[in-house]
Amino acid sequence: MTYSSSVAVSRRQYGRRNQNSVAFAAPAKALGPVSNTIILLFLASLVGLLYLTQVTKTNAFGYSINDLAQEQSKLLDQKSDLEVGAARLHSLDRVAASEAAKALVPAAPSGSVR
Amino acid sequence: MSPRQAPASTRVPGSSNRRVQVWYGVLALIMALLVGRLFYLQIIKHDYYRQAARADQLKEYSITAERGVISAHDSGGFVPIVLNEKLYTLFVDPVYIKDAAKDSKQIAALTSGDQKKYAAAMKTKNTRYVVLEKRLGDTIRNKIAELKLPGVGLQAQNYRTYPQGTLAAQLLGFVGGDGQGKYGVEQALNKQLAGTPGRLKAVTDAEGIPLAANSGNIQINPKHGDDITLTIDLPMQKQLETILKNGLERVKSGSGSAVILDPYSGAIKAMANLPTYNPAEYYNVSDQKLFNNAAVSDPLEVGSVMKVLTAAAALDLKVISPDSTYYDPGRWELDEHTITNIEEVGGPGTRGVIDILNKSINTGATWMLMQMGGETGSINKKARERWHDYMVNRYQFGKPTGVEQGYESGGTVPDPNDGFGLELAYANTSFGQSMSATPLQMAAALSSVINGGAYYRPYLVDSAAGSGGQTSKNKPEIVRRGVVASRVGEQVKTMMEYIVSTHNLRPAFSSRYSVGGKTGTAQIANPAGGYYGDRFNGTYIGFVGGDKPQYVIVVRVNEPKIGKYAGSAAAQPVFADLAHMLINNFNVVPKRE
Repeated sequence: MTYSSSVAVSRRQYGRRNQNSVAFAAPAKALGPVSNTIILLFLASLVGLLYLTQVTKTNAFGYSINDLAQEQSKLLDQKSDLEVGAARLHSLDRVAASEAAKALVPAAPSGSVR
Repeated sequence: MSPRQAPASTRVPGSSNRRVQVWYGVLALIMALLVGRLFYLQIIKHDYYRQAARADQLKEYSITAERGVISAHDSGGFVPIVLNEKLYTLFVDPVYIKDAAKDSKQIAALTSGDQKKYAAAMKTKNTRYVVLEKRLGDTIRNKIAELKLPGVGLQAQNYRTYPQGTLAAQLLGFVGGDGQGKYGVEQALNKQLAGTPGRLKAVTDAEGIPLAANSGNIQINPKHGDDITLTIDLPMQKQLETILKNGLERVKSGSGSAVILDPYSGAIKAMANLPTYNPAEYYNVSDQKLFNNAAVSDPLEVGSVMKVLTAAAALDLKVISPDSTYYDPGRWELDEHTITNIEEVGGPGTRGVIDILNKSINTGATWMLMQMGGETGSINKKARERWHDYMVNRYQFGKPTGVEQGYESGGTVPDPNDGFGLELAYANTSFGQSMSATPLQMAAALSSVINGGAYYRPYLVDSAAGSGGQTSKNKPEIVRRGVVASRVGEQVKTMMEYIVSTHNLRPAFSSRYSVGGKTGTAQIANPAGGYYGDRFNGTYIGFVGGDKPQYVIVVRVNEPKIGKYAGSAAAQPVFADLAHMLINNFNVVPKRE
């Protein structure tokens, strides 16, 4: 068979009128049940992991909050101690016994007869 | 040679598979058991284990509310006089103590405590908690903690601390071991000062630290107690206590009280009693009477200072006038008893109203009361009812004033129509016997007369600041207007000034200031009936100011050892010192020239 005749045969065979040029479609690719299950499990694990990460992160903030609360409490204690110390320094007995008070001289009372 | 025979095989065909199957079976059984066990634990026993886990993880804490601070006025500002201080209780768990002698020695070296007592406490049987010391400071606490002794612990606790020591102790009160205010302001305002504790309910980790990622956590912040500022002027209080102490020592009196009040508001500027105590060590006080603020809780028969109020009532009723005169018989016979005067008054004669106050004439006070009933010689029902109305409804005797103090007493006033010997009893009330009142009630009553007729409720709390920062200032509260007419106030003031000018108060007062007063010497009632013949209380009631009275002063000296003129000899000098102290140091505005 010459080349031209082979082409002619080929045209006859595939080039008929009212006939689709593509005879079949490519088959649909679907995952099987095992793959689906694995993927679902994987996704669920991923979501779980994400949840755990967030919960851990939030709880870690709890420790920071606790540390800050302790620090705040410590500072408030210090403030309270300082207030008590300042009040003691203002004690009238202490002021009266101070060197400055001892150096004071009595003044003439304004209420007595002039 | 026979051909070598192959050894007989012991292997049964198919046995390998069976063994594997057996193992599979065993594994399946184990798995089934595990699954079954898990099912039992997680499904069937779900509630039980959930509760057990919750009980372990879910913690509930009470968050202590801080008790409010109490402050007082000082030179235009405020100074805290009661604060909170965190101190530590040192305790041991004897179970963990290995060497009591060594541990106790180390602790005693830091606390300066009794080593033997500590060692004995560390060996206590059948207990896991023995307190060694209380109220340890931060420095000692840190040093003990550094020792890291097993079984030795420190527990923080808030205590009240008093930077001014014993100053105003009975007025302030204290906080008992149960956290409740006792006596004074601490008791009267306990709820306001204590606040409301908060609450924390949370899922925690193994160390008890709350986990933030739990929507069920509940945190209610505490509402701290209000900070209270008193009307008390701190330097004035200090000087009052010093003057009162010196005054009592001078006349060898064991106890006494003094009050300084603003007559135009009822604000108590200073108030003290002696003897006193240290509120920081209230637990060392054996005599509980020391806790009482006697100026508000211990009424007394006030004696002749009452004559001022009797005169004011009679003047207000217009049954006498300041220049009225009358014939004084020197004695009145009432209900088969005789009312007489002290010897210095002299016998019968014509007297004026001013003489009744200046010479403290009992029969004169009785005469004024008789005039209220319109009948000289007897104290009729009308006189009794009128005078009762003044005492109870105008001067507010016989009922507590409502001042912010624990255990306030209202004193007593006899009923005008019910009882025996009413004439005698009422005659006695005209000069301050057969009735009782507290020094604070007397101060408030005199204020109502000399300020023009408004009875202000005496008060101690100037302002309160809530934990949210909101501050509420107390406004003076008028309980009654028109106690007496304003002209009566002026008349009484003038008469009281005259008394001071003739009673030789030392040092004398400048004419630029208005100072008035009246002495009182009251017999002390004998519980067996009648009065002691040789036991007296001295009282003094007066005011100091310029064009208008600025301070009212009441002094009480119990049983001075100086004879029967307790009012003039014991209480009057204390008044004089207080009046000078106020003029010299507390901006008493002089009269306009």
